[in-house]
Order: sequence, then structure tokens, then C-alpha cells
Amino acid sequence: MINLKINGQPIQAEPGKTILQVTKEHGIHVPTLCYHKDLNPTGNCRMCVVEVKGGRFLSAACVTPIWEGMEIQTQSEKVTKDRKLTLELMLANHPQDCITCDVSGECELQDLAYEYKAAAPAWGSKGTRYPVDSDPNPFIRVDMNRCILCRRCVSACAEIQVRDVWGVAKRGFDEVIVPGAGTTMLEARCESCGQCVAYCPTGALSNKMNYGKARAHQMTKVTTTCSYCGVGCQFDLLVKNEKVIGVQSNPNAPVNGMALCVKGRYGYDYIHHPERLKKPKVRRYLLEGKKKPRDDGQWTMDNGQSSTVNGLWDWVETEWDVALEITAKKFAQIRNDFGADSMGFLTSAKCTNEENYLMNKLARQVVGTNNIDHCARL
Amino acid sequence: MTNKKIVYKPVDHEIAELAHHHGGTQEATLEVLKDLGAKNKLNPVTITEAARALHIPAHEAYGMATFYSMLSLEERKKVLRVCDGPVCWLKRATADGGRQTVVDEWSSMVNGQWSVERSSCLGLCDRAPAVLVEDEQAGPVSPKDAKKVCEGWRGVPTEYSKPRKGEVRVMTSLIGKVDPDEIDSALEHGLYDGLKKALQSDPTTVLAEVESSGLQGRGGAGFPVGRKWRFVASEKRTPRYIVCNADESEPLIFKDRVLMETNPHQLLEGIVIAGYACGASEAWIYIRGEYEHQARRLERAIDQAKAKNLLGKNILGSGFSFDIHVHRGAGAYICGEETALLESLEGKRGEPRLRPPYPPTSGFRGQPTAVNNVESFCAVPHILKNGAEWWKSISTYSVPGTKMYMVLGHVNHPGLFEAPFGLTLRQIIDDFGGGMIKGSKFKFALCGGAAGTIVDEKLLDIPIDFASSQKGISLGAGSFLVCDESVSPVAFLRELLHFFAVESCGKCTPCRVGTWRSLEILNRMASGKGQQGDVEELTTLASLMHDSSFCGLGQSVPIPMKSVLTHFEAEFKKAEN
Repeated sequence: MINLKINGQPIQAEPGKTILQVTKEHGIHVPTLCYHKDLNPTGNCRMCVVEVKGGRFLSAACVTPIWEGMEIQTQSEKVTKDRKLTLELMLANHPQDCITCDVSGECELQDLAYEYKAAAPAWGSKGTRYPVDSDPNPFIRVDMNRCILCRRCVSACAEIQVRDVWGVAKRGFDEVIVPGAGTTMLEARCESCGQCVAYCPTGALSNKMNYGKARAHQMTKVTTTCSYCGVGCQFDLLVKNEKVIGVQSNPNAPVNGMALCVKGRYGYDYIHHPERLKKPKVRRYLLEGKKKPRDDGQWTMDNGQSSTVNGLWDWVETEWDVALEITAKKFAQIRNDFGADSMGFLTSAKCTNEENYLMNKLARQVVGTNNIDHCARL
Repeated sequence: MTNKKIVYKPVDHEIAELAHHHGGTQEATLEVLKDLGAKNKLNPVTITEAARALHIPAHEAYGMATFYSMLSLEERKKVLRVCDGPVCWLKRATADGGRQTVVDEWSSMVNGQWSVERSSCLGLCDRAPAVLVEDEQAGPVSPKDAKKVCEGWRGVPTEYSKPRKGEVRVMTSLIGKVDPDEIDSALEHGLYDGLKKALQSDPTTVLAEVESSGLQGRGGAGFPVGRKWRFVASEKRTPRYIVCNADESEPLIFKDRVLMETNPHQLLEGIVIAGYACGASEAWIYIRGEYEHQARRLERAIDQAKAKNLLGKNILGSGFSFDIHVHRGAGAYICGEETALLESLEGKRGEPRLRPPYPPTSGFRGQPTAVNNVESFCAVPHILKNGAEWWKSISTYSVPGTKMYMVLGHVNHPGLFEAPFGLTLRQIIDDFGGGMIKGSKFKFALCGGAAGTIVDEKLLDIPIDFASSQKGISLGAGSFLVCDESVSPVAFLRELLHFFAVESCGKCTPCRVGTWRSLEILNRMASGKGQQGDVEELTTLASLMHDSSFCGLGQSVPIPMKSVLTHFEAEFKKAEN
């Protein structure tokens, strides 16, 4: 163990850790911006600077390893002043549009500005440098005016999604984040997973589908498990006025963390779709125990004449028990009439492992056929 | 579901060929991009193709293409780069910094086949005002010479074969005597004797000799060379590498250019000795892209040394094998920072790395690497040949050996000279620089390099070495730009900040925005539109950049800022209104 002092308080920590890791363990607050626990620290933004005794310069807590006898000040006057100034330099180059910004209320830059009482300096607000909503990606809204060049999007795309879409172009004050060789995101191999949006601390990258629909404090978050496949990713549904308006990564999700795929993050518009099936439906003739009408919608009556029977071919909402009962009877009838191998079962990657296992049991043991397959094998 | 059919297309034939020619890995990126740029074929499509051919993400290639100033996605004709470094600025003495004016003047004077661009300091300060004509250095030349320059005239290079009074020549002793393009001439003059001697003893002895000589790194920081080599040699991992930092991009500095140009074999010999002492197998000379002439001379020297078995396999039958490669940069001051240099060498944007780990532990390709300055390597053969004791006996000053000095500006004999440590600024101006030019009076000097201290006459008599920055005058890489009373310190600082703002890599916030904002303030102060509070804001920005920047670039921008604000506070205050 290594002995060090943070703000005068003696602390023991394991060797190899960074200052930030140790301060987090001991509940000492050090502000961060370009740092994210899921990503390799880069030390770019300089928000987490701390004073290390004997050092000529301040040290970035996220990347500075601890050593024996280290004495650290996390809240000295110099440190606080520099953090505030750094924030001001970021704000000077950031539009003063929190009042209309979508992520206001969950913006890390805004929170830090509030914490340090940092306002955009009078010389700031240099106007719009980049086109607003500049990328045609159907899901991701890009506004590089709001970018503070923390590069979390670059790391998230490279380290988590491994697509390497985002990169850094130009240098100095002109530096800008671009997809690929200055192309559109989709041309740069983007698969619209939205990881970059999830990791963006500001409104530079946001979601197109719910842009302008609600702010953080106007929404409730409901943690749920994704229904698209069996991986079991968790995320938060963003709910406003009883309507799901978006999906947000939940950092505590045990299986996937912040990561989601394009379906999980952006494929939620089926939830309030008018044609969405919410209860089982059965054809009226089955429900009423009548004979099956012909395909042309006619019905041959007992006397041999054709007749149009209103509604017998319609889908009627019913209860699960009724629907399953009818299905089971039909299955049994088919098996009895044509044999078990006349039936086949195809299961889905949207089902869990356990559900797939049960489907296999149903096919082989209940129905008695080996005709079972899975969409993932195709 | 997309209805577009995804069709695999092989990489464009021409680009695949190009990538293969340069090695086919990420390290070849810069060369591939430069070749595409030379054909005016640098655009998002070709960059994406090049990235595919080199098996890297498209954004990495694009990030490089837009990072290095010598590359351009815009269509260019033949390129003429006009230096707007501080020395050339002094020579032109234009009121507004003259960046656009001088580019416009050149543009109007050259014929339509040329694209004229500004460039950060070209390293031709002894030939100011200077330009780079495609890859040929020219100076002193002014726009009125444009026609001649387009036809092939390159101005008159400064002559260094005759020593100045008081010079002690070691590294420059063969200037004018040795033919830099002929190895036989080099051998006749005793070059490679140090290497032969070194190869007869074991590497630990060589290392001990360099250590006991007390040789300090000549890049500016003065870190002991022997200690650095010991770190590398004591690493268990192999291969180990030697990297020579010849990315001399700091305004005011041109000593490495002269050393490489006049005596390339001296540098090669020093590098091979370093390789032997560190147990390294290969070396790279990272030379700035603007030094094409010097790069070719080094390549020629390497070929000749290989032919004589002074490089390559089993050097002189000693069992030691070693190779040297030349890698050209493409215009980026930050690549002089050793970790940014290594990134650039690996085919990435020249952005500094996190430290630790330091290069001796994890450098080029993550292997143990010794990165030293050209001048440091050039001193090594002499130490090996004549012994550490001799090196220490050259001067009576506490820092052993000699140093390359550059004196520039309003002195009678600007240029380069070699002398022991401990000179005072007064000696540099009067004894070596021939005194202030007639009718001018000393006002201030920029000492070290662009990131050095600006001093007034109070500091004229302090002996200068690597430690004298504590007293307010820095040695840095050894350059001294002397300004008379005609020069406004405000306008002068603006020139320096323009350089830093253009060359900041943009990685960290304090340097990226701090340099830019400082320049904005200085631009208005220098043009008579200063505002109350400007000096205070500059001081605040300087402190922030010093304390919080990621690397040495941002940390040292405040050195000239703070020193000039201290010495010339009254003038800056006056410029506020």
C-alpha cells in the first residue's frame, strides 16, 4: 500500500492507481469532464487538475499515478481558480443557448459552470462556427458549435463500439471533431448505435427523434430490459405525459453498461404506434366456433349457396387464455390429422435463452417433432 | 433495412501501390499523404482509400492531413512558403505583423504558376527574410526578387567556415574543411574515429564515458544525456530505439540545420555511438519537412556510411549492427516535443502523450527509446574520441563543453557560433555579434528561443546556462534575438503568440483557447485598440497556461509572456488605452 495525503488527510491506497481513483474511493470530489470511467483517460480538458506538492505544474488527477509520500490539494485556491478559468475558456467557445438547448439540466458543462460560478466571458460568443444539425444521420443530431473537444465521442466510438467513426481534425483553435475523412457519419461506417451521444457531456451530440420534446426535469426515467434480443440490455425509457419519448443509457445496467445498439436506442417508436398489438387477436369465426370462411370472404351455407357473412373473417381482440386455448386445440388437431412432423417451430433471437429452451421442449416433447429452428442460424 | 447493396471494392490501385511503396503500415501515413498532396490528390475520397490501404480508420488519416501545415486539401500550384517568424518579421518591419501583406506582395510578384502561403518560422533565421520555394530554402529574399527566385535564385547562404573571434569550435570545427557529401573527406578529417574507439570498448564503458563528461541535452531542457541513455540501456526489453530530434521548428533556432548541412557524418557517428551504448538496433532521424535539402544530404551520408560498413550489419567487424532512417515531418512545431514526435513517427497526429511513461521506458512503438537533439548527438563523437576529461577541460565554467549559439536581430554580425557555457548576453552581443548596429540602442532580447525569456538591459551581465532561467534569463536551445528601441515589445509578443496559436495542437483547453485569446488581445493592443484590463487578462491567461496545460508547449508559452510583462509593464499599460 502507498501512503499519501489528500487535503491533509492521510490515506492509504493501492499502487498503480490514479489520483482520481483514490479521491473517488474516499468520497473526495474532483470535477471531471473529458474523463469517463468506461473510457481510457486522456487528460485533455484539464478540469480535474490538482496541486501536488513539489510539482511545478498542476497535475490532471485522471492520469497522474499516485506515489509514496504524495501530498495533494484538490481544492486549493490555485486549483479552483484554474478550473474556473478553463471552464470560462470552454464557455467562450460554446453558444450561450442553454435556454433552448435540449440537454440543459443534464449537461456536464452546465453543471460545472454552475459549481464554479463560471460564466461565458464578455469576449466569448464568437458566433456560429459550424452548421447546426450538420449531419444527415437519421438518429444523431450533430451541432459542433456546442462541442468542447473533450473527445469522449472519439474514445466511445473507438473503444466501445470499435467503429472508429469519429476523429479529430485540424489543430489549435480550429480543431474540430469530424466523422471519417470529413464525410457524413454514415459514409464513415457509422451504424447509428448512439454511443457517442450517450458519452457526450454537452448538447453537441444529441438524439434527433426526441429533440425538443422534453428536458431532463420534465421526464421520468423507467428502467427496463430491451425486448429486441436475448442479450438483456437494460436502459431507461424517458417518459413524459405517459408517453415514451426516448431511450437513455443507464450506466448501472449490469449486462451492457452504457452500450446499446441502434435498435435498443432508437427503435422505440413502435411503443405508441397505433397498429401495435397489445392483446391477442383471433378471427371471429374461430371465436364463435363457426366454420372457416373461404379465402374470398364468402361462406358456403349448408344449402350450398354462397353468402357474404359480415365480420366472420375479422380479427377480434380477446384474452390470452382464449387465444392459447384455440391455438392448442388447432395444434392438437393438426398433429392428429397429419402427424407431428407436419409441424415446424421457428424461434426468435428476440426471445431469451430460457424462452428458446422452452420452445425446444414444446416442439420435441409436447408436439413430438424435431422440426425446430432459430432465426439466428439462418 | 437498407436497400443499398454493399459491394466490396478493392482499394484504388494507385493508392494501394503508394501505400505498399512506403511500407504499408500506419507509420507510412504521412509519406502517403504527402505524395498524394504533391499530386493535388488529397481529398476525402483518396484519404479514405489511403486509410484502407494502410489499415487505419479514415479519421486518423484525415486528422493527419489536416494537422500538418505542409499538407493541404486545397488544390495548389507550386508552393512558395513565406516565413513569418519573428526574425523575418523584424527584417520586414511591417506595422501589422505583415502576414497577409507580405503574402499578397509575393503573390502579386510571382507568376500564376505559384501558390503563396505563410509559414511558421522556416529555420532560416540567419537568412532572413526567408522563403521556401517548393522544397528549396531561399534567403535573404524580398518580394522584389520574386522573378529571380522563380527562376532559381536562392539568395546568399550564410558562410560559417571562418570562426568568429573568441569562438571555441568543436562541433563546427570542420565547417568548410570537410566535404559534407563525401565520406572519404569525412574519414580523412577523423570522423568515425570516436565510433571506432567506442566499438573497441564495451557499451558500459562508452556509457560511463558519456555520463562522466556531464553532457547535457541540447534541446533546451538540459537533461543529462548519459543518464537518459542509462535508463534506456537498463530496460530489459528489446528492440530499443534511438530517435534524433531534428524537428527544429522553434523560431530563432537553426543550429541543427547548419550542423546537419555542414557535417552530416558527425551526427550519424553520434547516433551510432548512442545505439551502441544503449544496446539499440535502429535509429530514426525525425527531420522537419522544411529541411528537405538537409534530409537528402543525410540520406546520402547514410548510404555512404553503409557502403563503408560504418552502418548496417556487423559494423567494422564488431558484431554490432545498426541502421539509421530519415523520417520527414510535414510542418508542426509541436512535433519537437519528444512524445508528439514519437506519435508523428508512428503515423499519427503529432499530439503529446501522457507522461509517465517516459520514452526511455515506452517510446517509439512502445519500446525503450532515447530521444536526443541533433546537437547532443554531434557532441558525442568528440567526447569519445578525446575523452570525457578533455570535454570538461574545454572551459573553466561549471557546465562542461561547448554550445552552439545563435545571435540575431539588431547586431552587426548575426549568425551562428560555438563557445563554452557561461557567456553573458553582453558578451554575446558585443564580443560575438559585433555589437549593436550603428545608431541603435539595446532594448530587449528574446533568449533561448520563442519559448524563452524576454530580458531588458538589467540582465545583460548574468552568465547564461541551463540553470540561469532561475535568474530570469534562459539558455534554451541557445538563440538570442536582440531588439533595439525601434521594436515595440507589445508587437513583438504578438508575433510570438501568433506562432504559438498557429502551432498549438489543440489537445488541451488552456493552450488551445488560451493562446488564441492572448493573440486576440495582443492584436488589438498592438494596433492601438487596447482596452483596460488587457494586461491583467494576459497575466491571468499566462498563469493558467503555465499551470494547467498538458505539455511543454502550453507550459512554456507563458515564459516570454510573463517576462516581457514584468520588464515592460509600463509599455503594455500604455497600450491598454
